Parts: sequence; C-alpha cells; structure tokens
Amino acid sequence: MIGNDIVDLHLASVQSNWQRRGWLQKIFTESEQQLILEAKNPDNMVWKLWSMKEATYKAHQRCFPFPPKYNPKDFISSVDDTMFVGSHLYKTSSKITKDYIHTMAYTSHCNYKFMISKNDSYTSTKEPLKKYISLHYKIPTSCIEIIKDTYRIPFVKIDGKISKIKLSYSSHGVFSSFMIHL
Amino acid sequence: MTKEELISKLRTIVAPYVQNQEAFENLSEETDFINDLEINSANLVDVILDVEDEFDIEIDNDAMEKMLTIKASIEIIQEKLAIK
Repeated sequence: MIGNDIVDLHLASVQSNWQRRGWLQKIFTESEQQLILEAKNPDNMVWKLWSMKEATYKAHQRCFPFPPKYNPKDFISSVDDTMFVGSHLYKTSSKITKDYIHTMAYTSHCNYKFMISKNDSYTSTKEPLKKYISLHYKIPTSCIEIIKDTYRIPFVKIDGKISKIKLSYSSHGVFSSFMIHL
Repeated sequence: MTKEELISKLRTIVAPYVQNQEAFENLSEETDFINDLEINSANLVDVILDVEDEFDIEIDNDAMEKMLTIKASIEIIQEKLAIK
C-alpha cells in the first residue's frame, strides 16, 4: 500500500507559523519536537516530518479504510524514516529541494510510479496523473476520472466504473504529485 | 452559549484559513473544514489552537481527532465548557 504527500515550502512558510505556542505539541511527539529543535534547518524538518505523517496516513487509510480523522500524533516517526501507527510499520522516503518536500510511504517494497509536477493555471492539477494512467493502461484520457470516496480515498474511474488502480494524490501551492501502485 | 453563538464564533475563527469562499458564505453545522472550506490540513492545528484560546479550554488528542466539522467542533466545545 502506498501514500504520498507534497509540501510547497514557500506556501507553507506563509500559511503556517509552526513557532506559534502549542503548534508543535499538537502534531509532534516529544522526540519529533526534539529533532525539529536540533535540526540545522528546523523549517525543513517540520515539513518533512509533517509530510511523512500525511503520506503514512494515506497509506494506512488504504490498508484499513477509516473515516477521516485528525490524529497526526498517532503517526510516529522512528529511525531511518520508518513510521509506526500502533504496531503497523511503514517505510517512507522523502525528497527535499529548496522549493518542496515530497514523501512517499509504503508497506513493503512494492512497485510504484510517482511523479511531481508544477501546476500551471491552464490545466487541472490532476492532468499529469490522468496522462500517466492513459499511457500506462492505454486508455483515452477522456475516459478517465479521478474521484474520492466518502472517506476521501482517491479512486480512478474508467468509463464510469471504479478501477482497481491504487493511487495517492497530493497538491499544495504550485506543486502536485501522485503515486501509483503498479 | 447557544449553538448559533458557537457557530458565529467558529465562523470568525476559521475565516483566515478558508480557501473556498463560497462554502464559507454558506457555512452551517454540516460544513466540513477540509472538504468544504478547503482549509489546509496543517492549518487545522491553528483552528484548534484558536478554539482553545477563544473558549479557554484544552482540546486533547481524542477531541482533536474528531474536529473536522462545525458540528463536531460545537459538540467538543460544549463538552469541554461543561466540565470547566
């Protein structure tokens, strides 16, 4: 199972003030707070840990469908960027650039494809995802629809029918990303 | 505090984080912070901290987990105010 998350670092810096009193404590465990405070670049550490939690939430929700919850503290980072949710373990890998942080979470070494793209104002942020599905599964883009179920889990509809394609989709500021379990 | 008063206070609290103005104008008990108002998930923490400050209550993890809608927020605030 997979999940991914992207954070636009420029938008995050204006959208959130993580130094606000109580902010870190609501989201991060004590050891995560320690990592942030000791980091060379605390901003990047905040958003890396945040995207690890978000990506893992998505992977976990795909494994065990549950109604949306706001429980970032239940997703606990450990050594080598592994994440624990109760007794469940997820591996994560993050890419940090000066503009964004992208994290992928997965249960085991599964085959996946991911893509990060910069949004433009002319096309939908879901366009790169549709294009990829169209090429990979040889289906015209006009037959592809990306929908979310009542738990906000995304699905791909092909010709109006829900397909078995497992995907995770994220968009923040000028960036979008997707991850597909192949 | 009546439900209407709570909704009005919540409306003021969420305003700075709202990304869907149309949904904000139609805000009701059923409004969902993420799906309807399109509040960024990292800003939900700010909503929770603002609620704590406004009502002088503490939102613990169990309560925070549910605070995704106006309705759930009202229930939590009323519950916390009652035990104050």
